[in-house]
Amino acid sequence: MTAAETGFVLPGVSRRGAQARTLLVSAAGVVLAFLVGGLLVLVAGGRPVAAFRSMFSGTLGSGFAIGELLVTAAPLLLIGLGLALAFRGRVYNIGAEGQLFVGALAGGTVALELGGPGPLLIALAMVAGIAGGALWASVVGVLRARFRVNEVISSLLMNYVGIFGFDYVVRKPLGDPAAGNALASRQLPDETMLPSIPHLFAHVGIFVALGAVPVVWYAMRVTPFGFRVRMMGLNPEATQVAGVDTRRLIVVLMAVSGGLAGLAGVIQVVGVEGRMDGGISASYGFTAIVVALLGRLTAPGVLAAALLIAFLNVGGQAMSVDNGLPYSIVLAIEGVFVLFVLIADRFARAAR
Amino acid sequence: MNWSDIVGLGLFASGLQLAMPTALAAVGEAFSERAGVLNLGLEGMMLGGALAAFAADYHSGSAAVGVLAGVGVGVLLGALKAFLSVTLKTEQVINGIVLVIFVQGVTAFAYERLFGSAGTQPEIPALQTVRVPGLASVPWVGPVVFEQNVLFYVSLALVPAVWLLLQRTSFGLAVRAVGESPAAADSVAVRVDLVRWLALLVCGAMAGFAGAVLVIGDVTLFGTNVTAGRGWVAVALVIFGRWNPLIVFGGALLFGITDALQLRIQAASGGSNSAVPFEVFQALPYVLTLAVMVLATVAQRRSAQPAALGIPFRKEVIE
Repeated sequence: MTAAETGFVLPGVSRRGAQARTLLVSAAGVVLAFLVGGLLVLVAGGRPVAAFRSMFSGTLGSGFAIGELLVTAAPLLLIGLGLALAFRGRVYNIGAEGQLFVGALAGGTVALELGGPGPLLIALAMVAGIAGGALWASVVGVLRARFRVNEVISSLLMNYVGIFGFDYVVRKPLGDPAAGNALASRQLPDETMLPSIPHLFAHVGIFVALGAVPVVWYAMRVTPFGFRVRMMGLNPEATQVAGVDTRRLIVVLMAVSGGLAGLAGVIQVVGVEGRMDGGISASYGFTAIVVALLGRLTAPGVLAAALLIAFLNVGGQAMSVDNGLPYSIVLAIEGVFVLFVLIADRFARAAR
Repeated sequence: MNWSDIVGLGLFASGLQLAMPTALAAVGEAFSERAGVLNLGLEGMMLGGALAAFAADYHSGSAAVGVLAGVGVGVLLGALKAFLSVTLKTEQVINGIVLVIFVQGVTAFAYERLFGSAGTQPEIPALQTVRVPGLASVPWVGPVVFEQNVLFYVSLALVPAVWLLLQRTSFGLAVRAVGESPAAADSVAVRVDLVRWLALLVCGAMAGFAGAVLVIGDVTLFGTNVTAGRGWVAVALVIFGRWNPLIVFGGALLFGITDALQLRIQAASGGSNSAVPFEVFQALPYVLTLAVMVLATVAQRRSAQPAALGIPFRKEVIE
């Protein structure tokens, strides 16, 4: 099977010309995204220049804005990295949203219910979150590896189950009596909150996300594990014949991507919300699919895409508030963007 | 809890109505998969059809116009999916997910643009129940099947039509051939890509119609998550129904009745302080779908799956 058939150009396999074309497609995509955005602003009865001005000032105009941008990029980056790795091996996990909530539940419960020194609790919460997300996702992995159950559908269905489970726990056992029937747990103690970075209105969790970029890059590009993943993505049968335990690899890929989603969930709890509630995710688990695809399933690409999508999301809110424009413009831009890149990538490869 | 209220004829009547959109979409998906194309964009096609149907019905005041708009948008999205899968031959799993994301973004914007200024949530009138003379008085079956709205009857008629198209026409034979062995079909001058294109248009029409039935025939409102995963459930039900449109349809209806059952138990057991948390009931349909899909996959060992499912066709060129 060739790269054209897998739908993605693999780094190391592709020629330099193909990489240049991929960059060109990305640049064209960004330009198109802004054109479409301007058009939608016009359709919604706004003024594009004013809209873009508030997008930029809302994301880059102040320390607070930059902090907001980075804090929004962090979960997208963490989840996007895991999905890029899994998609590389053609393990299509679209259950990151549920894995995020299950991880947040596991980690948040640790932070809320266990006593002890703050830093230790935060570390334990992160471990619990990773374990929670990984275990939840592994169910999907085992079903695919053992019984060949389509992981796209099973992981999507598990989202609902995970989120309803989260809803129940934060409503009842861990619920805040003062919040009535609202879906929010009790507040976490202050010492279990992530410290913020001086002069930047962001928590230190963004370093965890940034630190994951070289780790995933190294794992994907340099290690035998990464080689096996890419090989399985290109040709699963040949990979099996070559002696790779592909069943195990499928479960590992689900667990790694689920674990990263779970970690993102915990960081949202101990870094942003300070309690477990629905506000920990603005559909980050789904938006991260866009991030992984726009990032061409490479770690540096995912970093760039996470920043870009965070820019659109945070800037979109500023635009919506300042100009009274619908926030959904951003969702439409993202949808058009990802569709364009899928089509343009195909033509870029055909031109080779 | 009064069980005779929960398990009555009303349960079956509302269960069928609840299940119909999912069942229609699943039949469309079965058609596309029999042609060898895995359509994971189904959720997006239903959502697009639902918004088009809602907007057209709202502005024209005619349910028929709404249904046509829903089907039309479904066909357009079917064409997009065919362009991506059949013409460009991009990976079908990816392009399906991309299609859903695309439609979710565009419908969110379009709905806000079209109805955002309204103070209250806009609503369209519900369809009237049409009693089929004579048949509605048949005990048991009558009140369940023959006291429904007009879209329900159209749906009931459409499904056997799709089955006939697949099993009893030469086009259907071509569809099944390109799904099982595209190379063999190609060797007898069947135009594989054209047949797959048409199958995806049929699937898109069914999914768009399903979206229309959902908003016009049932909920009478639109929300950006009005489909609530029904498209994904439908894809799972195709496996359960072994890719046979009639079994897929029957299975989906059965499924809807269990869904109606949980809704009624939930309503009867009393809100947020009941012994069993209502989240359990909310999660139940998805758990059930998952269980059914796993059992079906294990039981049939993939034998019923079209052999060429998900694989783009490339003509072998002898050099």
